[in-house]
Amino acid sequence: MSDSNAMIVTNGLTKHFGDVVAAEDVTLSARRGEVLGLLGPNGAGKTTVVKMLTTLIPIDRGNATVAGFDVDRNPEQVRRLIGLAGQAAAVDEKLTARENLELFARLYKLPRQRRHARIDELVERFDMGTFADRAASTYSGGQRRRLDIAAALVADPLALFLDEPTTGLDPRSRAEVWNSVRELAAAGTAILLTTQYLDEADQLADQILVIDQGRTVAAGTPEQLKAEVGRDVLEIHVPDDTDLALAQNLLASVAGVLIDPDRRQVDLPITSGAAQSLDVLRQLDDTGVTIDDFQLRRPTLDDVFLALTGSPTTPTEEVRR
Amino acid sequence: MITTAPAHLAPSARDRIRWAAQDTLTMLWRDMIRTARQPELLVFSVVMGVFFLVLFNYVFGGAIGSGAGVDYLQFLVPGVFVITALQGAQQTSMGFATDLSEGVTDRFRSLPMSQVAVIAGRTIADAARNLVGLVLVALLALVMGYRFDSAQGAIAAILLTTAVGFGFSWLGAAIAAKVRQPDMVGMLSMFWLFPLMLASTAFTPADSMPGWLQPFATYQPISVAADAVRGLCEGTPASTDIILAAGWTIGLLVVFVPLSVRLYRNGA
Repeated sequence: MSDSNAMIVTNGLTKHFGDVVAAEDVTLSARRGEVLGLLGPNGAGKTTVVKMLTTLIPIDRGNATVAGFDVDRNPEQVRRLIGLAGQAAAVDEKLTARENLELFARLYKLPRQRRHARIDELVERFDMGTFADRAASTYSGGQRRRLDIAAALVADPLALFLDEPTTGLDPRSRAEVWNSVRELAAAGTAILLTTQYLDEADQLADQILVIDQGRTVAAGTPEQLKAEVGRDVLEIHVPDDTDLALAQNLLASVAGVLIDPDRRQVDLPITSGAAQSLDVLRQLDDTGVTIDDFQLRRPTLDDVFLALTGSPTTPTEEVRR
Repeated sequence: MITTAPAHLAPSARDRIRWAAQDTLTMLWRDMIRTARQPELLVFSVVMGVFFLVLFNYVFGGAIGSGAGVDYLQFLVPGVFVITALQGAQQTSMGFATDLSEGVTDRFRSLPMSQVAVIAGRTIADAARNLVGLVLVALLALVMGYRFDSAQGAIAAILLTTAVGFGFSWLGAAIAAKVRQPDMVGMLSMFWLFPLMLASTAFTPADSMPGWLQPFATYQPISVAADAVRGLCEGTPASTDIILAAGWTIGLLVVFVPLSVRLYRNGA
């Protein structure tokens, strides 16, 4: 490995299940202390990539290394250096948090004298004291996810794989997971995080790979991805459906306009800055559309996703909160 | 680094064997905790044996016993032992399929551990539960009027039955590793459990069956196990039966230990 800081590296990673392309030619890399976000809707192939990298399923084509070890040829070395949490893994429901941590600590061959200190440390760090001695089957979603991530950290992994770590969590638990991810990255862990939440990738990832139907559709920093889409967006909110219909009539011919009936919101790509914005607002006003609120903003990853995959983020919207 | 061997070295054969033993103990610890927290599983593991014991004795006992000219309860109890062990193996199958469907095994497969330990821990824990279940069935049999020839005979019978059940547990684990859905595993068990159980000498002597069925009913594993256990209970141990029962058990292990591990490891 030329770059000794590169912890998770893949080249042309490919996996087919029969006719289904689960992953096609995925090339990525995450260095020490870096968070790589794998972003895509349900069924995009994110979990397949994680499963290949964590030795759970064989690689069809391409190669992958973790901390310099070939995942295909040296799975045992790879397993000693990784932690896995999220959708792709689970904890033992019949065991308590402490028992689960003890189980994984033993299986990671942590020496007995370090085991209990490490378990106490993790219970404290993830604030599990109040429920650590109850069976995991009684936990809330947030509690279970904390245990899940703690279990992945038992042996201080160099590379951590978090497969949709916040799916189904309430906002507070989500924020807790985000904080943990930031702390771990700051401490030098390379993290591959899959998510279908655009704001999550925006918040946490240093690098983002957008994948759809197994294929990479874009890669770069969040800033680069936004710059790639380039245009600012004029976001207009109107008070009721009548106003929305009027605005829709007026703006239907403008390329890239996006109407969200639920939020009564119109998103309009702006190519020539303030002058165009004023013009649009003036026209709306002349037509008699009441405007609650408007802002000119930089594109979000939602806009990026729309621009890259050609379809709105419907699969994401459906399952979102 | 917290691993016992430097991460850049591939584990040696000795490391592997040591880890397999160590991991099996760890998994056994886990599975024993789970067993203790689900006492209903012990009930399920003896319920079929108890049903067969009570129903066959009181419903069919008169007809079968007077025809064969023997005390049917004396004939029935060793058979019920073996059926109980078979039921325990079916529970291994269901339990392992549940494990597989819950996703905790995916974490196990991502860990630097011996993969045979995942199944070995379970089959050994199930054998321990089986042992307790068999003692319960034996106590019920005593209450119903069954008599062992000697205490040593009873202990040997129960241990042999547990060993046969252990062999079948690996068959159950292999089915679970292949099929993975617990409800499907439950359905499938009808196909191997019932023919083995009923076309056997567990409940009736083979010579009362039609000629074409007799070879199967005499030499299939449940029959030789039932005959061997019957000999031990009655104080007339037959070495042929015991050797055949042990042979079947070893055969099951030779085939299904590697097969179940391979099916488990290759699963998505």
